[in-house]
Formats: sequence, structure tokens, C-alpha cells
Amino acid sequence: MKNILLASHGTEGALAAENKVLEMCAPGVRVTHLLVIPEFWKDMLGDDWLNNSSTRKRFEHYLEMELSRETNGHLRRVRDRLSKTSADSAHEVVLGKPDQCLTDACEQSAYNLVVMGSPRPKRSRGLRSQMMTRHVTRRLKTPLLVVPHPCG
Amino acid sequence: MIYTRKSPALLMMGLIMLGIWYLFESGLLSGYIGHLGGAKYKYTGEIATVPLYFGIFSVAVGIWQWQAKPREGHLDYYLSTVAGAMFILLIAMLVRWFLAPEIAVASQALGKIGNTGKHLHTILGLNYVVLGILTGIIIVNVFKIPGWAENGVRLSRLGLKTGVILLGTLYSAAELKNLGGLSIVMIGFFVLGSVGLVLWIGTRMKIPSSMGGVLSAGMGVCGVSATVAAAPVVQAKSVEIAYTIGTILLWGVGCMFVFPIVGHLLDMSHVQFGAWAGTGILNSAQVAGAALAYQPDGIETLKVAEIFNITRVLVLPIIVLWLAVWYVKREEVAAAQQVNVARVTFEKFPIFVLGFILLFALSTTGVFAPANHYKGKYFGNTTESGFKQENLLSHEQTAQLAEESSKIQRQDRQQALQRLIDHGKVMSIEDDDVLRGLINAKVLSKEANKTLKKAHKSVRHTAKKIKAFRDWITWLFAFGLVGLGMQITVSAMRQAGGQPAIIGGIVGAIKAGLSLVVVMLFISETV
Repeated sequence: MKNILLASHGTEGALAAENKVLEMCAPGVRVTHLLVIPEFWKDMLGDDWLNNSSTRKRFEHYLEMELSRETNGHLRRVRDRLSKTSADSAHEVVLGKPDQCLTDACEQSAYNLVVMGSPRPKRSRGLRSQMMTRHVTRRLKTPLLVVPHPCG
Repeated sequence: MIYTRKSPALLMMGLIMLGIWYLFESGLLSGYIGHLGGAKYKYTGEIATVPLYFGIFSVAVGIWQWQAKPREGHLDYYLSTVAGAMFILLIAMLVRWFLAPEIAVASQALGKIGNTGKHLHTILGLNYVVLGILTGIIIVNVFKIPGWAENGVRLSRLGLKTGVILLGTLYSAAELKNLGGLSIVMIGFFVLGSVGLVLWIGTRMKIPSSMGGVLSAGMGVCGVSATVAAAPVVQAKSVEIAYTIGTILLWGVGCMFVFPIVGHLLDMSHVQFGAWAGTGILNSAQVAGAALAYQPDGIETLKVAEIFNITRVLVLPIIVLWLAVWYVKREEVAAAQQVNVARVTFEKFPIFVLGFILLFALSTTGVFAPANHYKGKYFGNTTESGFKQENLLSHEQTAQLAEESSKIQRQDRQQALQRLIDHGKVMSIEDDDVLRGLINAKVLSKEANKTLKKAHKSVRHTAKKIKAFRDWITWLFAFGLVGLGMQITVSAMRQAGGQPAIIGGIVGAIKAGLSLVVVMLFISETV
């Protein structure tokens, strides 16, 4: 496996996928970390109409900063972990539908393997934004490794 | 940056509007209008004018958008919103004039439901408002908002705010005083109650302070709007924001459908339903939606509900300040931050409420209708004030009233009736009120009561400007709500979950149930 795409955005399932990729790291292996910010964040103003534009802008700015802080945290963690291995690494952050972004990334570059975590078990904390969808199973032409969730 | 998208869409929408107008004017729609209700069909006046004016406007701007090369600047920015605004308007037209009446025809064909005495579409509130919002939700979730319409769809907020401002013309001072007092008591109790309850349950469930803060604002005050205002103040995490907004949107949309059904089943008055929706529905957009869903062809319910909405939004800066102080005290990490009271108050103050107050103040001066108007109607028994001499009671009618006057016990009623008999018309607004009481008491015969009702109607006049405002308000709310429907995505609602969903479910259900009980027990049918 020379060219691995790791799809991770810091959930428990994604951390398991990161661990699996770290096991595969060896000289000559290149790991590309794909982090997708789900596009539903664009709709988080919902049907608010009472606030004035300054309040809405303040909220948008705050949310952007929050997402940026979280994203940078995930990127830093993955970068630090990969830097301790002998593999090369690259990082890509995109905004969109997670499954669509994954298939797009695979169409743009030739990966040998895609590694991702399992969907989180029901009732556990987290956003509803799955990457492992029917769209992925139908469209993805690269071998896919789905790492079991640590909670089973 | 150039905002205008080069597209023939606006031109095509303009041509569709003109097509509707032409089909109607040429009589080609007559058969279909007959199917939708014939003489009972209420929208012929609108179809004869609205699509013509907006069609011409859309075609003119549409040709420019499609063919001209826009230059960077204010004109480009403002004209880029036209396509989206006309997109919403076209949907509102189609739903109001054709889809909703079609559903009503189908529902009437099914007959009345059980012993409710109402048709299915009335009970379910399937009118142009609900169908318009639903259409908006379907468009954004199934087809996505086209790029050329995105800028204009945001204008729906402006539509709703303008609607509320114009609503200020329709209140009499007495109405506003009574409704304002009622809303302060109800909102004060339920807002503070639900904010406190969320914080209390949150502490028991050991949720983070930031989550408790943002959730309490959303559940207590005005839904998504309060969440948006409070999230930065209590430093909510992104997942907490997603959970809260998802929960509130899901609850709000659910309530918008459930509340009118319950209201119809309980046969609530407009005041009762408006007060209940204004208190029990979490999200402010759905308060307006539910009020119009309950009474699609009048705005009495909307007037009550919007006073409650305004009270809620006026409470918002206070709650945000409270949460800011609460959060700073609770979280050591934020202790270094100072709560800037002036900035929070200024930023969160809803400026459009000033417009509402201004128009209300203007209406009390008699600019739009005589200052003593009540619900847009005013008293006038002289030719100058609109009384028609042919409406004077006939000799036979006054004779019958004189004959039956002995049945009346109360002196004020006897005196008011005597003045009516002497002059052939109601002599004062006080007499009019007394005589209406006499009609409701059903002391006199049916024929005599009919005469009294005629006398009452002939001295009550609708101000033309007020009628125009009513029409504008209806369209602005329809426009705004269809547009807001286009901003409710399933992906956002799907984020409902976690502890906020549990706490939200508990507090939302308590708020809706308890406010229903309070409204049914303590609020009379009129104000």
C-alpha cells in the first residue's frame, strides 16, 4: 500500500481508523488525511428572522472560529501522530457532503486504499453526518477499509 | 464582486406570472376557477392585478439579468436579490391561488370529519401558509435552492419584519394595552420558567454550562433566533449548537402542524390560539406560521401571536445578559471576560420593533383610520364619516323595536334602544356597544335582532388604508414564511439529538401543555 487516504474528523470511530493507518505506515507510504467539514453548518442559521444582521454575523463568525479551532486541533493531532512514523503525509480540508467529498477525492488522486472509521453506535454523542453511505459503496473504485468502532 | 447570476430564470418567471394573468383576464381560467369554488373563490381580485405588476417587473429585470453585463456595485447587489424574491413570490401565488384551493375542494368532497363539523383540510390546517412553508422545505431539501435565487431567498426575513412593522397599523390602543399586558404576564412566566427549568435539568444531568446556556435561551425565548444570539455569549461548542438548533427546528416544524389541529379540535378563539401559539411554540418563525395556518383568511390570530413574538424578542437581550453573567460566574475560564451590558443590549435589540411602535403611534393619530378604530373598523353615523342615509331604519323597523322594548330589563339597553328608535340610527359608539350586548343576550325576536345588526353594520366602516395594509401584511407573511421554509434543511433538523433533545423534549412538552391549560382557563375569547 503506497498511497493511503485517511478519512478522519476526530470522532471515536475516526481515531480507530487513525490507529489502523499508523500501523500501516512504513517508508515509502504516503498518507493523505482528508478532513470534511459537513455542509449542514451553512444551514445553522435555520429560520432565524428576528435577529439583526450584526447578531447573525457575530454568530457566523463565532461558529467559523469554533469549527476552525476544532479542525486545527484534529489536523494538529493527526500531523503529530503521522510525523512520528516514517510515512509521508499530506492534509486536505474540504467543505461539503462527507460521502461526496470522499468519492471526489478518490477520483482526483490515485489511492491504493481508503481507511475510515465505522459509523458511531446509536445513542452515542456526535453529529449526524455519515461518510459511509450507499453513495460511497456505489461510487468508490478504491479498496475501502472500514475499521470497527472501539465501542463495538 | 458581481452578485447577479446570468440566467433566464427571472425572465421565465415573469412570463409565467403574465401567463397566469392573461389566462385569467381572457376567461380561459373560468372553468378551473369554477371548479375551485366559483363565486366563493376569494382570489379573483388578486389574480387580476398581482401577477400583472410583478410579471412586468420580473420580465424587465429578467431581460437585464440575462442580457446585460452587470457592473460591481450596489445596483448589482440589490438587483441580484430580485430573482430569488420573485421565485418565492411565484411559489406563494401558485400555492395560495391554486394548490390550497385544490386541496380544499378535494377535502370538501370527503365531507365533514366525524362530529367535528369541520373538513379535513381545516382540521389539519392545510392552507396556503402551511403548504407554502412545506413547498419551501421540499424545494431546499429535494432540489436545492438554485444559485440565482440564493441572494433573494434571504430577503424573506425582511418580508416578515416588514409585515410585523405594518401590523402596527392594525392595533387600537386598548387592544395593544390588553394584549401587551397579557403577553408580558404569559411570556414572563413561561420564558423565565423554561429558562430556569432547562438550567435546573441541565445541572441535574451534569451537562456543560455552555450547552445549558444555549439550550435554555433556545427553549425559553424564541428558538433558533435566541440560540443564534446566545451561542457566542456562553461560548457554546459547535456540537452543542448543532444539537440545540436541530432540536428546536424539529420541535418548531412539528408544533406548526400540531398546534392548529389541537386548536380546531378544542374550538379555540383567535385570541386563545394566538396566545397559546405565541407562548407554547419554541421557534418564532413557526409562531407566525401556526397563527396564519389557524386563520388563513384573517389576521386576528396573527395579531395576537405577533404581540407575543414581539414581547419574546424584547425579552431576548435581558435573557442573553442574564446568561452571560451566569456563564461568567459559573465558568472560571470565562471569568476574565467582562459582560458589556451596553453592547449586548444594543446588538440584540430588535430595531424593527421600533418600526412597529412608530406605525402604531401613527395609526393612533388617525393617519390611516379614525383614531378610535377597533380592528381597523371605526364608528361613524354622519354622512362625512361614511354613513349612508339609505341605511336609516324604516318606520316599520323602528315600530317593531318599540313594540318589543318592554322585554328589556336593563336601563342602559332601554335608553340606547330608545335613541335608536328616535333617530333611526345608532347615535354613539357607547350605544353601539350596548346594543351589541343586547343582540348577544337574545332578548328580542330574531327579526328585531336582525334590525339591530343592520343598524350596527351601517355605523361601522372599514378604513380603506387599513384594508390595504391587511392585504400587504398577508402577502408579506406568506412571502416571508415560504422563504423561511427554504431555509429549513433536513440535515440541520437531523442534528437533533443527545441531551438537548431529551431536555428540549421535556421542557417543550411542559411549556406547550401548561400554556394550553392556562390559556383555556384564564384567557377569554376576546380582548
